[in-house]
Amino acid sequence: MDKRTAEQDWFERELERRGVSRRDFLGFCGTMATALALPPLFGSRIARAVETAPKPTLVWLEFQDCAGNTESFLRASRPTVADIILDTLSIDYHETIMAAAGHQAEQNLSDAITRDHGAYIAVIEGSIPTGAGGAYCTIGGRSALDIAREVCEGAAATVAIGTCASFGGLPAAAPNPTGALSVADAVPGLENLINMPACPANGENLAALIVYYVTFGRLPELDGLRRPLYAYGKLIHDACEKRAHYDAGQYAEAWGDDGHRKGYCLYKMGCKGPVTHQNCPNVGWNENTNWPVGCGHPCIGCAEPSFWDRMTPFYRHLPEIPGLGPHTSLDKVGLGVTVGVGAAFATHTALHVARKNAERKRNAVKPEEGDEE
Amino acid sequence: MSATTDSATNNHGHLDRVYVWEWPVRLFHWSIAASVVVLAVTGIYIGNPFLPVTGEATRHFVMGTMKSIHFIAAMVFLLSVLSRVLWMFAGNPYARWHQFVPVSARRLKGIWETAAFYLFLKKDSPAFVGHNPLAGLVYCVVYGLCFVMIATGLAMASASAHVDSMLSSFQFLIPLCGGLQMAHFLHHIGMWLIIGFVAHHVWSAFLVGTVERSSLIDSIFSGYKVLTPDIAHRARKHIEEDR
Repeated sequence: MDKRTAEQDWFERELERRGVSRRDFLGFCGTMATALALPPLFGSRIARAVETAPKPTLVWLEFQDCAGNTESFLRASRPTVADIILDTLSIDYHETIMAAAGHQAEQNLSDAITRDHGAYIAVIEGSIPTGAGGAYCTIGGRSALDIAREVCEGAAATVAIGTCASFGGLPAAAPNPTGALSVADAVPGLENLINMPACPANGENLAALIVYYVTFGRLPELDGLRRPLYAYGKLIHDACEKRAHYDAGQYAEAWGDDGHRKGYCLYKMGCKGPVTHQNCPNVGWNENTNWPVGCGHPCIGCAEPSFWDRMTPFYRHLPEIPGLGPHTSLDKVGLGVTVGVGAAFATHTALHVARKNAERKRNAVKPEEGDEE
Repeated sequence: MSATTDSATNNHGHLDRVYVWEWPVRLFHWSIAASVVVLAVTGIYIGNPFLPVTGEATRHFVMGTMKSIHFIAAMVFLLSVLSRVLWMFAGNPYARWHQFVPVSARRLKGIWETAAFYLFLKKDSPAFVGHNPLAGLVYCVVYGLCFVMIATGLAMASASAHVDSMLSSFQFLIPLCGGLQMAHFLHHIGMWLIIGFVAHHVWSAFLVGTVERSSLIDSIFSGYKVLTPDIAHRARKHIEEDR
C-alpha cells in the first residue's frame, strides 16, 4: 500500500467537503483518460497523479474577449470534479473570479509570476490588439501586448483558450479594426504554446489538458496549428452521430421539415462539421447533455482559424462568390458559364461555316467534294 | 474549300499517315476524360445531394457510394495527370512540355496567328502538327487547374484519413488551400471550370474535325494524323531526329 501524503489527505477532504464521492472522482479520471484517448487502465494512474502531484499555479488573463471561455470553464451547473481539479491549480489571478481588485490584484499577478517563474501555466483568453499602440485594451495602464509578453515568457506553458486567443477570432475578423492578433502571432516564439480553439473552448478539454500535464509532466501531442490531438485530431463530421444519415444520403432540407425532425444530417443546412476539427460529438457540452448538432443546429465551425470570415454564411454549404451577392448559387453560375461557353462555340461554328460557304461560292469550287480520307 | 496547300487540315490529293500521338498520350487522354466525367457526376451529387432517400439509414449508402466512386476516380485522375506530365519529358516531340509552354519564337508567334484565325482576322490556320500554340497554352492553364483539384481534393481527403495512412501525410496541404472550407469552395469552382473546359474542348474538336475535315478526332483514337506529304515528311523527320 502506498504511503499517504498530506496532499492526498487534503485532496480527499476537499472532495468530501464538496460532496464528491470517491466513485465520482474515479469516474472523472476514467472520463479524462477517454477524453485523452488513453486506455482505461490510465484512469488509476491519473487518479493517483491528481491526488498526489503538486498542482501548478494558473494565471488566467483576459484580453479582447467576452469571458465566454471562463463561463464555459466554470460551468454554472453542479460542481464537478473538474472544477476542483482546476480550483486546486491555485488560480492566483483570474480577472473574472478573483476576489482581489485594483492594485491588490496587480500585486497578486506580479507575485505569482515572480514566485513561480518558469513553472506556472498561463491561460490567455481573448485576442491581443496591436492597433493604436495597443490602446484598444489596457489593464492597469499597461497594454495587453505588454502584459502578455511578460506573463507568457515566464510560463512553463501557455494555453491560448478559445478561438480569439488561438487564431484572432471575432476581433480579428475582417476588417479587424483593432489589429487583433492571436497569442502565437502577438508573442512569437513561445515554445510551449497550446491552442485550444472553439467559441467557447470546451472546459472538459482544458481539464483534460491539465490532467495530462499533472499526470505525465509534459504536454500532449499537438498538430500543425498547435492544437492537442486528443481534442482536435478528428473532424466533427467523422465522429458525428448523424453520420449514418449523411452516408445514406438523408438530409434536412429546411428547418422543421420531416428530415430535420427525424434527425437527418444537417449538411445541406450548412453544417461545417466536415471542415471543423473538434471532439464535440465525443465529449459534448454541459456534462455531455448535448451539443449543437445533437439538438438540430448545424456546426458553425467555431474552432477553425478565421471562422467568422471563412465559415459564413453559416447556413450554407459553401461561401458566397465574391462580388455576386449573398444568394447566388455557385452551381447556377457554373452551369451558366458552361452553357455560355457552349453557346459561344456554337456561334463561332455558325460564323465559321457561313464564312466557308461564302468563300466556296466566291471561288466557285465544286460544293459536294470532300470525303474524309 | 480553303486553297491552302501547306495546311495540315487540307485533304486534297495524296495523303500520308504519321504516328503523332503515342499510346501513353492516348491512354492518359482517355483515362483523364473518363475519370473527369465520373468525378463531375459524383461531385455534383456530393456538393448538392439531390436524390431522395427514405427509410432506415442503415439500409442505404447513397452518399457513401458516391464518395467511394469519387475517390477511386480521383486516384485514376491523379495518376493519369501525373503520368501524362512525366510523359512530357519522355515522349515524342508532340507530347513534350514545349508543346504546352511556348518557348520557341515560332510557337510564340503561332499563338497570335492561331488567335487571329479563331477571331476571323486571318483566313488560314497556321500549320502545326501537334497542339497549336494557343491550345498548348490553354492546356497549361488546364493542367494548373487539374493540380488545384488534386491539391484541394487531397487536402479534404487527408483530414479524414487514418493517422497512419499515406493519405494523412497530405494534411500539410490544408493551410496551403486556406483551410478546409476554402478547399471545398475552390474544389467546387474548379469543377465548374473543368466542365466549362470540357464543353469548349468537345465542341472545338467537333468543329476542327467536321468543319475543317481534319483527322483530329480519329487521331486521338488511332494515334495517326493524316497530313499532306510534305508536312508528313517534316513531321516524321522531326520525330526521327529527336530519338
